[in-house]
Amino acid sequence: MMRTVSAAETAPTTHPWVVHTEGLRVRAGRHLAVDGLDLALGIGVHGLLGPNGAGKTTLMRALATVVKPAGGRLTLLGEQVDGRSDLRRVRRALGYLPQQFGFYPRFTVREFVEYMAWLKEMPKTAVPGAVQRAIDRVGLTAKANARMKTLSGGMLRRAGIAQAIVNDPEVLLLDEPTVGLDPEQRLDFREMLRDLSVDSCVLVSTHLVEDVVAACTDVVMINEGRLVYQGTPNDLTAQGGQGDAGDSPAERGYSALLRRHRAGAGR
Amino acid sequence: MSRILRIELRRSAAIGAVLILVLAGAVLLYAAPKRWAPGWMSLAMIQREYLVLLWPLALAAGAWQARREHRSNVAELFASTARPRAQRMVPALGAMGVAAACAYLAVAAVAAPWIIDTARYLPATAFVVVAVGALAMVAAAWLGLAVGRLLPSLITAPALAVAGIGLLMVIPAATRSREWLALVFSPMYGMGQYTDYQTVYGRVSAAQAVWLVALAAAAAVLLASGDWRTRVAALLPAVLGAGLAIMIIPRNDEFVSNPVDPVAQEQVCADGSPRVCVSRVHSGLLPEAAPLARQALEMLAKLPNPPTTVHEDTTTFYPDTSPPRQADVVLMSISVDKDGHLARKAEILPRMLFNAGADMSGCDDSWNLAVSRAAGYWLMGREPGPDYFQASPEENAEAAKLWQGLRSLPEQEAAARVGAVRRAALACEKLDGLLTASAR
Repeated sequence: MMRTVSAAETAPTTHPWVVHTEGLRVRAGRHLAVDGLDLALGIGVHGLLGPNGAGKTTLMRALATVVKPAGGRLTLLGEQVDGRSDLRRVRRALGYLPQQFGFYPRFTVREFVEYMAWLKEMPKTAVPGAVQRAIDRVGLTAKANARMKTLSGGMLRRAGIAQAIVNDPEVLLLDEPTVGLDPEQRLDFREMLRDLSVDSCVLVSTHLVEDVVAACTDVVMINEGRLVYQGTPNDLTAQGGQGDAGDSPAERGYSALLRRHRAGAGR
Repeated sequence: MSRILRIELRRSAAIGAVLILVLAGAVLLYAAPKRWAPGWMSLAMIQREYLVLLWPLALAAGAWQARREHRSNVAELFASTARPRAQRMVPALGAMGVAAACAYLAVAAVAAPWIIDTARYLPATAFVVVAVGALAMVAAAWLGLAVGRLLPSLITAPALAVAGIGLLMVIPAATRSREWLALVFSPMYGMGQYTDYQTVYGRVSAAQAVWLVALAAAAAVLLASGDWRTRVAALLPAVLGAGLAIMIIPRNDEFVSNPVDPVAQEQVCADGSPRVCVSRVHSGLLPEAAPLARQALEMLAKLPNPPTTVHEDTTTFYPDTSPPRQADVVLMSISVDKDGHLARKAEILPRMLFNAGADMSGCDDSWNLAVSRAAGYWLMGREPGPDYFQASPEENAEAAKLWQGLRSLPEQEAAARVGAVRRAALACEKLDGLLTASAR
């Protein structure tokens, strides 16, 4: 497969991290869901773990530039995200699958992905090819001309991933992408993540620890809006002992980290 | 962009809106084809009057489409994309605008075959009137989009439709003493036709177009707005447009209600002699009218100094205009039936021969129904009966008695007496007794 590489893509980056937060605070309603988070993410696939209410979705929304940070610093691709900056350049390089994926039900898969490509201000000539590649990549080729409203839950999730990756994003944010996928599709999805990890920064929020271990190069764990742990999957596995809750070494590592963090916070 | 517009045209409410609007428009027009069958200008104006329903429907279609954004929960996803909100709204504005305008033009196209054989006079003004109607539809669809976005509820569309009808009804009442104001703000006001020669002045259309463009622009700004400041800014084009439109429209002394197109009134004559002419707007009916007119002239030829020409009677009552009185011209009233052809053919001859072919419309009360009718029926060679004049049985009996009297006279004497009626009628003198007294 060949594609034209723009000058911007081959230019050396001037920023050390693709995603960088310092003391980031983000509100979800009146609640401060992300509260003083320091995080630095580079190229690779990062699994975002944490219990319900940990602030995963709020963090995703802030990184997707949907909500403005309430405090701290957020830098995406070297550009600071605050109320004043023009986010167009950053947004062109973003891919986002929200937890609740909204779509136009009367559009076909191809039309919706094409519409998203237009919203992402992709160059006109690149759109048809990119749309087809994105649809092929998520395995919806046979359903490309089906209306969105006729898709099953798993297919919708894949259509959601297709729109997120259509612009070959430098920052790809996937909030619970594996919900509704059957085991075979989840294996395909992990394969796709490994492909993407070569040249983009992917942040995958999930409850499924084994997805993270299988497909991610890096694990980020947060609780109550703060960073609990960042390391490799192997290191996560090593954190757990026989006494920790969980059916796999990785799950036991997760439980152990969470338990220790809670104990530390309670002190 | 054009690909996205095509997707929007296929997948938005555009196609459904076109179907509903065309169906509604066609039903309205064909429910009373007599109103617009006289010609292209009639069709253009009467269709504008049916904006009373089409305009609110376009509003509702826009509001319905706007709800998609809310219902499909895409705000989160779209908020992360680069394209500014204003640009994102362009395909939806385009699709609904194209749909509303095309639906309006399609309604005209559906009606056109009905009159294509009989309607001849197609002034540029007719296109202007249709174009302003299409513009009104675009403005309505866009306004619907903007309101539907601000109030994304299931009832917004139907409520807006009802409010739209209400607004169009209220505008003339609210501007009662300033009729020209109603003309600016209501795209349907003043479009009912009192005569087939009626037109819409260019300055009126220009003012309406300015206002509608301003309204559409305000709706587009409102739709694209992200905060309250831009929403308030949407008032600016509306206020400017309203002001400019009010400056353009003829008002106070300059204002003419139900204006007449003098070109439509001009007489167009049939080939051959004697000369028979009808107004330009009715020129398609010449082949039907000419034989009747020539028949009347032939009957009048029995009289001394008979008339030689027939013109259409282009009298209008609002405003009050009448053709010049000419002794050698007989006037013929033409009305158009619902099929676009000559209406009430049987009435035409009695009306032309009434007063022995003389026009007495400018005379005060010197005419005499019995004498006038008896003279006409003697010329036609038949007994007075039910006709256009709706004479009472007594009045008809009186005319019949005079007619009998004429019949019993030698042909020459009768012709002389009827000729005297004609002479008196042309001079606006009393007709009483002219058929019973000797003409010599």
